[in-house]
Amino acid sequence: MRRLLNAALACAATATLAPAAYAGPRTTIAVDRTTVATKLGQTFLIQSTVTNHGGTAASGLIAHLNVLSLRPGLYVDPEDWSSHRTRYLAPIPAGGATTITWKLAAVNAGDLGVYIAVLPRGGPAVEPIAGPLVHVTISDRRTLDAGGILPLAVGIPALLALTTAALRISRRRTTRASSSGAGALRS
Amino acid sequence: MPATAVVLGQELRDLWLGGRALVLSLAFSLLLSAIAYLVATNRALNFLEQRETVNLTLQVAVAVGALLALLTAADAISGERERRTLESLLLTPASRLAIVAGKLVASLSLWLAAFAITIAYVWFLGRGVGIAGDALASGIVVGTLLAIFLASLGILISLFATSNRGSLSLSLFLLLALFAPTQLPSAATSGWAGDLLLRVNPVTAGEHYIGRIVVDGRGWSEDIAWLTSPLIAAAIAAALALAIGAQRLNLSGGASA
Repeated sequence: MRRLLNAALACAATATLAPAAYAGPRTTIAVDRTTVATKLGQTFLIQSTVTNHGGTAASGLIAHLNVLSLRPGLYVDPEDWSSHRTRYLAPIPAGGATTITWKLAAVNAGDLGVYIAVLPRGGPAVEPIAGPLVHVTISDRRTLDAGGILPLAVGIPALLALTTAALRISRRRTTRASSSGAGALRS
Repeated sequence: MPATAVVLGQELRDLWLGGRALVLSLAFSLLLSAIAYLVATNRALNFLEQRETVNLTLQVAVAVGALLALLTAADAISGERERRTLESLLLTPASRLAIVAGKLVASLSLWLAAFAITIAYVWFLGRGVGIAGDALASGIVVGTLLAIFLASLGILISLFATSNRGSLSLSLFLLLALFAPTQLPSAATSGWAGDLLLRVNPVTAGEHYIGRIVVDGRGWSEDIAWLTSPLIAAAIAAALALAIGAQRLNLSGGASA
């Protein structure tokens, strides 16, 4: 009896708290591609489309981007991959759709997964709707060829240091010559 | 030979043959070497997109190059006052306008030398992605405007400063205040007030313009509006420095002079 009462109360709470405009399972997410292959240090774009298949406008939705490693041993901080991972969506009319472009930077090399989830701003805890996984393969490469940097990093200051030293020596000699000339004149 | 050219020649000799400018340029090259070495070899910095690496190096070069011009200008008059060499300069037939103009242009030579040093680093970092040319071109335009603005500001401060230490301190404080908005988080500059602050401040506007060209690969004319405040600031500050300098350059300094 008590269980029945609790279940009835929970159903009543869901019906009351759920925002009427939240489209729930009538909302779907599609992405423009499911595989990305790029190099470390590059940026790439993923476009997602949130479609409202319901009969009423879907409002109060949040789209969230997530990044994870598909292999153990690789630490991924999604904040490094995209600085703008949470988007508060404008109401989507019935049968309408909205497209979101996500800019990501390839921060780690390896096999990674990217997905977008949509969830309501308020109301009871509901399962987020997740879009298809985008499999991202980042090949390891140094964005800069470090070879040759050392001669440049040492060479230019060395050249300037030599010029400065040569100038000081030249000035010292000139000063010494002029002071000895003045001394000779005095004597 | 016009008096300005004579003053300029003398100032350049003092700066470069005297060794002060060479020492500052050496310090500048050491800084750029450290940055270039770190971004090329350090794993944590190496993941930066190559355009961002060039942008980082160029922005540091522009900022520090303009700082060198500012410091030289801030010392130009108050320093001569303290070294008691201004009196002999004022006794020459050169007009006060010629003296101020010569000192202003001489202080800009520090920026030009800094830019010449920067070329090698930007070429090294930007090679392979074809942005070295655009980066250097945007750097010379923005850096020159900022150097004119800051050097003129330094001359103005130096004109009124009663001590050289005061002139250098105030100039550095102003420079830090102008550069402070570049450190604001992106969220703080996303609203209209933040955008306005970035556009009005010549330093942030100039650095933003460089970023647009180097990182985003935008065309020169697409974001040209961002150059408005550096251009206006350079023109107004230079005009004020010359006009006020022509009237107020004297031995004592101070606001009542």
